[in-house]
Amino acid sequence: MFVRKYVIPVLAVAGVAAAVYTVRSESRPVTPAPPVAEPASSPFNTPVAGAGIVEASTQNIAIGTQLAGIVSKVYVVAGAKVTAGDPLFSIDARALSAELEVREAALASAQQNLARMRALPRPEDVPPAEAKVKEMTAMLEDARNQFALMSAVEDPRAVSQDALAQRRFAVASAEARLAQSKADLDLLKAGAWKPDLAIAEANVRAAAAQVATVKTDLDRLTVRAPVNGDVLQVNVRLGEFANVGPVATPLMLMGDTDTLHIRVDIDENDAWRITPNAKATAFVRGNKQLKTDLKFVRIEPYVVPKRSLTGDSSERVDTRVLQVLYSFPRERLPVYVGQQMDVFIDGLARPTSAPASGSAAAAPEARN
Amino acid sequence: MIFVALKMLIGDRLKYLGLLAGVAFATLLIVQQSSILVGLAHQTGSFIRDTAQGDLWVMDEQVRFSQDSLNLRDTVLQQVRGVAGVRWAVPVYQGFLKARLGDGTRATCILVGIDDATLTGGPPSMVEGSLADLRQDRAVLIDHDAAPQKLRLRNAGGHLRYNDRFDINDHEVRVAGTYRASKSFFWEPVIYTTYSRALSIAPAERKMLTYVLVKTQPGADLAAVARDIHAATGLTARTNEEFAAVTRDYILTETGILVNFGLAVGLGFVIGVLICGQMLYNFTLDSLRYYGSLKAMGATGLTLIIMVLAQVFAVGVLGYGIGIGFGSLLGKLVGNAGLAFMMPWWIPVIAAIAILVICAVAAVLSLTQVLRLEPAIVFRA
Repeated sequence: MFVRKYVIPVLAVAGVAAAVYTVRSESRPVTPAPPVAEPASSPFNTPVAGAGIVEASTQNIAIGTQLAGIVSKVYVVAGAKVTAGDPLFSIDARALSAELEVREAALASAQQNLARMRALPRPEDVPPAEAKVKEMTAMLEDARNQFALMSAVEDPRAVSQDALAQRRFAVASAEARLAQSKADLDLLKAGAWKPDLAIAEANVRAAAAQVATVKTDLDRLTVRAPVNGDVLQVNVRLGEFANVGPVATPLMLMGDTDTLHIRVDIDENDAWRITPNAKATAFVRGNKQLKTDLKFVRIEPYVVPKRSLTGDSSERVDTRVLQVLYSFPRERLPVYVGQQMDVFIDGLARPTSAPASGSAAAAPEARN
Repeated sequence: MIFVALKMLIGDRLKYLGLLAGVAFATLLIVQQSSILVGLAHQTGSFIRDTAQGDLWVMDEQVRFSQDSLNLRDTVLQQVRGVAGVRWAVPVYQGFLKARLGDGTRATCILVGIDDATLTGGPPSMVEGSLADLRQDRAVLIDHDAAPQKLRLRNAGGHLRYNDRFDINDHEVRVAGTYRASKSFFWEPVIYTTYSRALSIAPAERKMLTYVLVKTQPGADLAAVARDIHAATGLTARTNEEFAAVTRDYILTETGILVNFGLAVGLGFVIGVLICGQMLYNFTLDSLRYYGSLKAMGATGLTLIIMVLAQVFAVGVLGYGIGIGFGSLLGKLVGNAGLAFMMPWWIPVIAAIAILVICAVAAVLSLTQVLRLEPAIVFRA
């Protein structure tokens, strides 16, 4: 009975205790998990924040080739340091090498032709011609002699008019043939005609120029570094076809990375807050202890459409951004070209919170 | 005399237990129904409270609740970072996406993308894996407690587990960890991944940034920062509490839950009050004969009043204690089963006041009978 008497009150007290416990346990606030790394925060009072992307101080140069073809040799690996003029990769040269031989043969031929013409007259050709002159001289003497004999006969009946005329014409004919043989000899001795020589010389020059053209093309098959710097990316491999013109992925990417540039995208609505030479600080994403002050380089004068993360080609552009370039020495931070950083720039202050009507008027255009 | 009164009460054990049961049941009804309503209302803000690493949520003015996706332009994030008084700001993506589990089961889930660099805005605690595992390829986190129910493999049996692979919007993902979060009002399982991965998984839209989570400088005036953010971006910045309140109000009013549940709570209250009052009143009426005897023996009116009050309040207090105890216990059971239950301090207090008022009313009503009583009535019967 004694126990029973207290069952109900004990139950009641236990009930209240349970209620108190429930209430207490539920009023405990949830503690959200701490972030893996604290996000970067601005060191300035009126900061303009922007997403920056690290690039080489020469900008990132997408190396192209002037001649298309199969890659036959790659001289560098990604990360290699090169100086201007160092070969980067070569395109297969067999076709052009063969053509070079053809062109060189043509040049040799033209040169030989010129040499031949310069060497005229051929010495062996002269004695026959001189002999011919002598022969003709002798024949003229003979004709003259015969004509003299005939014309010396005083009795007209002894020599017919016809025979005399024959002898006279024979002399004239022999004279003419002597003159011709002498002229032939002179022509032979004179050698090549000047204009002909000039043509031959021009032919030699043309052939030489063609050889030089092919040699230039051969040289262009080897793509060389345009500036001193680092090879950032190599997208050509032995046996691959290298296309001419702008390609989606550059054949090679290089740039001078001793000084790094950081290209900061600033929303066009904030563009007016940026002044040249404004101070700026960049933070490495994921570790806000890694930060550096930046040196102003320039403001890109043209405002560009923002490149979106999604990369969808059909995406409509609704934001344009002002790009501001800053620089910092490479050894200052462990960052790589192409890496994104959080950048804060010391900007002009916004006009202090406008009265309600003013901000409401500004809101719709800013939102879209 | 109080002792006699209590003896009277306890003496008739059946009636005594009946009375206690009545009061306890009334208390239970009042506490239980209102706690469930409060619990439901509270659960609408679970996501916000779990993600409350910042102080402010920047969102479109027209956002009505936490799962409403009215996305913002990407550059808003940088604009917000540039507002004075903002210590840091991180992006949050959130969207409803279709998932296809390994065995072909289809499920709709809520994909949440949190800042890649810092993983700010993640779930409150991890069970398997760690938050940093999100940096692994195709990594996502699933809810450890909700998975057996919400990510059940209907064809193969079992449910999605740590290290399993499945598809979200035809993109393969891997469960790199499981987390534990507060129970949410929204049924769809919440799957966490990084912001940029969420963007690549989700179908492309013009704008993909759902919220910007903002932490203010220590000592900054939240309202002033919110105003500056509005001036700079034209967007609304809400504190965690404001956002949770907006969400709660939307769910309660727009979905009709308040009307439905409010009705249930009201009915529970009315029924509890009626049962309790009725039983107490009946008990006094049943005891009229004894009061008559006492009166005949010379007990004064005051003595009788004290006696009735002692009885009524003894039953009230004991019944309330038992009722509230059972209410808490039932709440624990219901809560463990995954239903909403939340008992803030004011629910037991209101229930106590209600029970006290019922007791007082019942006492007053029965006292009029007792005081009007003719002692002779005892002998008439």
